[in-house]
Amino acid sequence: MLAIALLAAAGCAGFSNPEGWAGPAVTDDLLLASTDQGELSALNAEDFSRLWTFPTGQEDPELDLKAIYTTPLVSEGIVYFGAYTGEVFALNLEDGSEKWRFDTDDNIIAGLEALFSDGSTETIFVSTDDGIVYALDAETGLPRANFFDAGDSIWATPLLSEGVLYVAAVNGKLFALDAETFDPVWEEPFKAGQGLISDPVLAGGTILVGGIDRELHAVDAASGDELWSFPAGNWFWGRPLVVDGTVYAPSLDNRIYALSLETGDELWSFEAEEGIRSRPVLTDDTLVIVDRDGNVYGLDPLTGEPLPWSPKAIDKTVLSNPLVLAASVQEEMEEEEDVKEKVFISAEGGDLFRLEDPTSGDLSRLDPNTGRFVKVVTP
Amino acid sequence: MGNLLMISIIVGLVGAFFVLGPDQAWTTLLMNPLINSLLLLTNLVGGQFGIAIILFTVLLRFVTIPFTLRQLQSTRAMQEIQPRMQEIQKKHKDPKRRQEETMKLYRESGVNPLGCFMPMAIQMLMFLALWRALSKVVGGSPESLVGLSQRIYSWSFLSDSIPLEQSFLWLNLGESDSTFILPLMVGVSTYVQTRLSATPAATAQQHQQQQMMTWMMPLVMVWITLSLPSGVGVYWVTSTVFQVFASFAVYGKSMSWRTLLPMPAPAATGPKKPPPKMQRDVQEEAEADTEAETTTDTTTEAPPRAREVRSRHGKRRGKRKKRR
Repeated sequence: MLAIALLAAAGCAGFSNPEGWAGPAVTDDLLLASTDQGELSALNAEDFSRLWTFPTGQEDPELDLKAIYTTPLVSEGIVYFGAYTGEVFALNLEDGSEKWRFDTDDNIIAGLEALFSDGSTETIFVSTDDGIVYALDAETGLPRANFFDAGDSIWATPLLSEGVLYVAAVNGKLFALDAETFDPVWEEPFKAGQGLISDPVLAGGTILVGGIDRELHAVDAASGDELWSFPAGNWFWGRPLVVDGTVYAPSLDNRIYALSLETGDELWSFEAEEGIRSRPVLTDDTLVIVDRDGNVYGLDPLTGEPLPWSPKAIDKTVLSNPLVLAASVQEEMEEEEDVKEKVFISAEGGDLFRLEDPTSGDLSRLDPNTGRFVKVVTP
Repeated sequence: MGNLLMISIIVGLVGAFFVLGPDQAWTTLLMNPLINSLLLLTNLVGGQFGIAIILFTVLLRFVTIPFTLRQLQSTRAMQEIQPRMQEIQKKHKDPKRRQEETMKLYRESGVNPLGCFMPMAIQMLMFLALWRALSKVVGGSPESLVGLSQRIYSWSFLSDSIPLEQSFLWLNLGESDSTFILPLMVGVSTYVQTRLSATPAATAQQHQQQQMMTWMMPLVMVWITLSLPSGVGVYWVTSTVFQVFASFAVYGKSMSWRTLLPMPAPAATGPKKPPPKMQRDVQEEAEADTEAETTTDTTTEAPPRAREVRSRHGKRRGKRKKRR
């Protein structure tokens, strides 16, 4: 009896394996998404047929990436991404063939950042779970001689702006570094009460970053001084969105907060059914949020009032950042006019959903076999 | 007092399950308090999660020690009446009669056959809750941390050590132990515990089942440890070592390392076709037994202790040998 109970316990224990939360990315004619755990696929953006998948399974020795947390970074015909197992890959966009790879020897959870010089990609920054930031040559994948040690895990995608790299670490520190030399720009890094885990965002000279201390911090980008902070009921892990002086900050306390960028005052908040880790997106004057249970909401960005169709359930865990496919891009792809902006949502297990029209809330799911989006019928 | 405590706990849990619903009750009353206690302990020991698991297991075993002792005492009492049980198995072919005699033996010896069930059930419940709590805390993936955030109480001190320090001794607590040292420790400790808690078998079939369990349990645990994060293995080793010490406290000097050796099979397992003379002999003996027990029941105020029953039984067995 004991043995059976133990086996049942082991089976039900639910030790979670890394699954990845890479969001989709788009190029002129391709949609890149992790449609299967530990795999990156390129889909034809017109008919959504699969063009290539990496790894192919033919690599020698066999590649098992376990999971992908970094949203693919596309530049000049190359796609860069980091695998949970610690390798950074540069693949040719055309056929998915490997251009180079670099092994960091640790897990990669944070996204990549790129430094452009004279219109071409010069450096790829990759941050690891043991707190090291490497600067890789975009052409060869070779690491620059110097690297930066944050002293603790880095889970947030670094932010690069005007030659300064902002790195948030789990020890609660936000560093401002010279992107070329890794020399500190501020006298002291900004220090929060606990780990900083949300991707830092820069808006009007203010960096917004949140974390385990349940606060969203607004930090002066020039000095590293705190301008204001806003407390919530749980961690801030989702990347904030800033539009017209309003910060939309998702929290794992199930709420999204609309705050004044200048003062940090709360304008409104909306409570979803579950915690929100995905970044909110604004499309067609609708603020779209997805909670971790896969409930999709359309909100009025001025008042936080939900649209009548909200919520729509996709019944899958969603932790990735959605992608808005601009109407202009679609018009070019599909050679049509008056196309509505669409929101792509990557869910657990690699399922790809599309919010067809944010005003009506029509959702569809990509059938990988046929390459067609099939309407999701929700009760 | 022990019964009252146990009944109170069970009534409380069942009541909570009805009032809150199974999921909510499980999460609110068991999982979340366990998870937050683990985090609190981790912070108190300077962020050493491995030490926190060991401390937490020991504390939990101390809290549930009334149940552990009760279970061990019941097991011991059952062990003491096993020779009489074997005798009954041999004597009575009729299942109804056999059951009556067995129940009578339980009454006389003051043994409750379900005495070890309730403490074991409560411990099992705690074990499952802790197992699940560890699965949430140990994590092993960024996704699990998102889930963990939903379970931590709002006291900021609890989040101080997140993400938890996963390295402990040679282990990464969030991953299975590839050195096989921990699975081996789990297997050995489980074997020792299983052997100490085993009761002598009354029949060959029981003996066979026990032998199988003695080996199956450690193997199952080794297999489980190989596939789960090491943090769970650390919990299991600590828990079983505690149980071994508790067994020593209860059994005391009667415990010897010979207990750890494979059990001998029962000498006689009930003849399939006994000779008629033997059958008559056994029947007479059973009747004599019944008479003797009835006399004892009416002449003594309290039921005899298990050791007394065994000694009387020993004398009778001696007589029978002589008669033969």
